[in-house]
Amino acid sequence: MLASLFLIGASLTTPQMSAQAASQTIVDDNEDGMARAVNRMVGGIASYVWWPTGSAETIRVMCVVGTPRLTNRLAPGVPGRGTVLVRRISTTAVTGRNDCDILFMGRMPVPDRQKLIAWVRGRPVLTITDDDAACIYGAMFCMNERAASLSFSVNLDAIARGPLRIDPRVLSIGRSDGGAS
Amino acid sequence: MTGKPPERIGARTTLQKLLSRFHFGITLFAVALSGLTILLAGVTALRGYADRNMELAAQLGAYGVEPALVFNDPQAAREGIEPLTRIPGIARLRVLDDRGQALVQWASPTADPAPLLSRLFFPHPFAVTVRRNGSAIGTVEVWGDSSTLIDYVRIGLLAGLGCLLITAFGTIFLARRFEYELVKPLNEIATVAHDVRLHRRFDKRVKPLGIAELDRLGGDINALLDELHGWQGNMESERALLAHRASHDTLTALPNRDSFDEQLAQRIAAADTRSERFALLFIDADNFKAANDSFGHAAGDAVLVALSAWIKETLRKGDFAARIGGDEFVVIVDPLDADVVPDNLARSIRACVAQPVELPGGETYHASVSVGVAVYPDQGGDATALLTAADAAMYADKLRNRSRV
Repeated sequence: MLASLFLIGASLTTPQMSAQAASQTIVDDNEDGMARAVNRMVGGIASYVWWPTGSAETIRVMCVVGTPRLTNRLAPGVPGRGTVLVRRISTTAVTGRNDCDILFMGRMPVPDRQKLIAWVRGRPVLTITDDDAACIYGAMFCMNERAASLSFSVNLDAIARGPLRIDPRVLSIGRSDGGAS
Repeated sequence: MTGKPPERIGARTTLQKLLSRFHFGITLFAVALSGLTILLAGVTALRGYADRNMELAAQLGAYGVEPALVFNDPQAAREGIEPLTRIPGIARLRVLDDRGQALVQWASPTADPAPLLSRLFFPHPFAVTVRRNGSAIGTVEVWGDSSTLIDYVRIGLLAGLGCLLITAFGTIFLARRFEYELVKPLNEIATVAHDVRLHRRFDKRVKPLGIAELDRLGGDINALLDELHGWQGNMESERALLAHRASHDTLTALPNRDSFDEQLAQRIAAADTRSERFALLFIDADNFKAANDSFGHAAGDAVLVALSAWIKETLRKGDFAARIGGDEFVVIVDPLDADVVPDNLARSIRACVAQPVELPGGETYHASVSVGVAVYPDQGGDATALLTAADAAMYADKLRNRSRV
């Protein structure tokens, strides 16, 4: 609730900053580097999200839809307690089931994406994409590869529409880049 | 020590200076001791606060940089520790990730005023482990600097200096008071002692003093003065007695021959300067030897005492009588009025001694005297001549008396 208020306040005062890339995780220069960075980032984001049900120890299911652009080896490591299970499923399957806590959207047709974003609205589902550098298509967190580093942006509007609570420190990281992208 | 020169009088200090010095020393010691204690206690307390401050800063930093460590994001870490850089007393900050590598570092742009003191007070950085859901993901290290401590010490030293100034003034004031309370009574005692020694003022006494010890000293001195005063009085009265004895006849208490000679010389000198006259009467008891033999020496003494008493009765103010021999008396009638006939003087003496004398044995004795008168300067120009003239006149009278009898 607090986070939502904060988000509303933030979006009201700085509406043009509602979607901005910010965080820059350093990516090691080897073949595992990107996979590790992506998994670390996804796990980190997941660890700062509070779902309406369950606790930090609850196993969260990440449904991967479409083709991830950054890495194929998605296995997010949550720091400390907590686990994220990865399932690859189709667009239609996602809307049919109810156990997806995290929705990772890779590259996919635009209508599918719109459909999924519409479906997520109002549900306790965290949306992350790696195919929206400007973070304008409705996903909450957008990962973006930049020279030797990985960053993420936050779409405050998308977060404000959902029932998830997100640690403001992460939001501030996600929008602290001063509109570089 | 053998070669030490004798101490000069001028090198002596006064009691006031001594007291003032002692006061200053003691207060200085007290102020220094308490100041040092307070300073040390303050530094210790302040160090405790500084430690807590560092710890809190480290905790705050840990909270701020936690997401940055999760995402391995130096920029976010820099922003996470940004609030810490505004806390005074922090020299350096460092954020380490879980592998011990520095994610971000920051050092205060202001130079440490006392690096030695900083190292002494904060030998180790304050390290707080950043945890995410129970597992360590990094460390925040905070190094303190001594600026706040130095400020405190500076203020403490200034306050101590102020206290010392106040102490100095207070000491001067106290010394003045001491001079009034202690040195003044001492001076009073000294003044009395000095007066007594120099002017023989044995009646001087030390007034009652407010300080018990000094009052006791004053009392003792007073008692000593009392004794001295008593001795002095005794001595004087004894001397007077001796002088009286030397110049007076013990039996009749009349001046003796020596006093008479002295007195006569003085009268002659006085008469010369004033061009006056005076009469010298030579009185000799008739048949005194016979009376002495027939009635005894006691009776003779009684006759002499009676004679001297009667002679004394005839004296006017200014006249002088003396016993110059066994039964010989002299009277100086001075001044001699111009209308007085010298023979009348002899007659009045004779009339006086005509009364009967009660002897110790119960008998009565009728004494008679021969009287010779000589007037200065008419019958004698000096003491011897005058006395001789008076003596001769007395013999003539005696012869007349015998022929009368």
